[in-house]
Amino acid sequence: MKRFLPVDELARDERFVRTSIVAGFNDPRNGRASERAISSARLEPGRAAAPDRARALMHGIFVGEIQALEGAGRTTFDFDDADAPFALKLDMARQCWDEARHVEISVKLGEHMGTEIGEYTESTFLYEAACVPDPAMRLSGVNRALEGLAIDVFNTMKEFGDASGDPVLHFCEDWMLADEVTHVKMGSDWLRRLTEQDPERRARALEFQRTVDKLFSLGGFRGETEENPVQIARRFRELAGFDTDEIDEIAALAAEALADARAREAVAG
Amino acid sequence: MPNDGRSPRPAFAPWDRRELPGLFSVEESARRVGAYAWVEQRLFEALGGWIATVPELDVKLVLGRHCYHHAWHAEQFHARLPELREMNPARCTVPANDGVAALLEAVIEPEAAEHTIEKLTGVFRVLLPRKIAAYTYHLNATSSITDAPTQRSLRFILQDELDDWREGEMLLQSLITTPEAAARAAARAAALETLAVAAGGIAGPGTLGASPTPEVTP
Repeated sequence: MKRFLPVDELARDERFVRTSIVAGFNDPRNGRASERAISSARLEPGRAAAPDRARALMHGIFVGEIQALEGAGRTTFDFDDADAPFALKLDMARQCWDEARHVEISVKLGEHMGTEIGEYTESTFLYEAACVPDPAMRLSGVNRALEGLAIDVFNTMKEFGDASGDPVLHFCEDWMLADEVTHVKMGSDWLRRLTEQDPERRARALEFQRTVDKLFSLGGFRGETEENPVQIARRFRELAGFDTDEIDEIAALAAEALADARAREAVAG
Repeated sequence: MPNDGRSPRPAFAPWDRRELPGLFSVEESARRVGAYAWVEQRLFEALGGWIATVPELDVKLVLGRHCYHHAWHAEQFHARLPELREMNPARCTVPANDGVAALLEAVIEPEAAEHTIEKLTGVFRVLLPRKIAAYTYHLNATSSITDAPTQRSLRFILQDELDDWREGEMLLQSLITTPEAAARAAARAAALETLAVAAGGIAGPGTLGASPTPEVTP
């Protein structure tokens, strides 16, 4: 088996339909950012579209968890012990188990919510971020940026479960949230250890994290206003080791992403 | 007579039949544990790498779970090495011989999405049975008093191995549904078994007996 498996070789059964992240951005069904400002975009049970949006989000979680599983697995294999110490690989193996459980949970939750595998498309950007050649960048891009996003998403879904009177959704999301806090902490610890003697490498890794954070704010998908379906979960991010400045920076990146989306819409007319 | 805690009692209760003698010296136990650690590490890395290469969703998830099990085994063995006077565990975490290295290289080699049967056959019909045999031999042969910490780890690890072997074998049986698939699995197992025989088992010659160091009887 070769090291560094390219994204187009990710193995899937015939139910999965792959799309690019660009196509996702341009999908008119996502709703225009400018229109979202008319009323709250938050995931609220009273809104007619809420059940379908929650199902779509759950399917997104499902495919994201598969890719997180694959990415953590590749990190156990792609590097020799000098680039990725044994203890880091042990943590990644543990993350494999956690992500496999998250896939199991999201399959069952998807069925519970009335969707099925393949009903929505799969974008593979998460795996792409998980397969950069520097393990420090994988940790910043995946464990800190994307697992951090997972904290926000799971907390949003947990609150949606609460608000919609769905204790199964609330229960499962709360458990997954606990795992994600652990993964983010793991990423922060290893990023610090791997780059202890190399501030430039750390700076590159953190820059990559910012890029991923902005990209995954997806034109206003995540933020701290009524216009953002997914809310930044400050309390859980703090538990995961983010300080206030770092969370503020993510909030600013999210606001930038929304502004960029509006600017693109204005140009497109 | 009332038990006031002052009456002398034997150190070993009548039902405790553990004995001091064991077949392994400290060095031999460390050598074997280091060889096991190496196999577990290669295996968990391979299972992690394979997750992205198998299209079957249930197999993907089982590989993710088993990847951690073998990582945990590697960690247990690593942790035991300094207690066996090997202060640099990495030095001792090596294949027992070139044959074991060749076996693991061959087990890990399949990559294509259509080779799930070959991947699983190597792990569940060759490597895990070999590991279960080696660990069981170690468990039974070493001193149950002097090397009790290794035995304790081996018992936990063997429980995982047996559970994982059963799960993997069931996955394989669910995938092998044609004579051609059965032939593929058999050919793969035969090729890898040949390498395992040449290696003498995962701990090299003497994996299941004829230890290279003399018997130690206090």
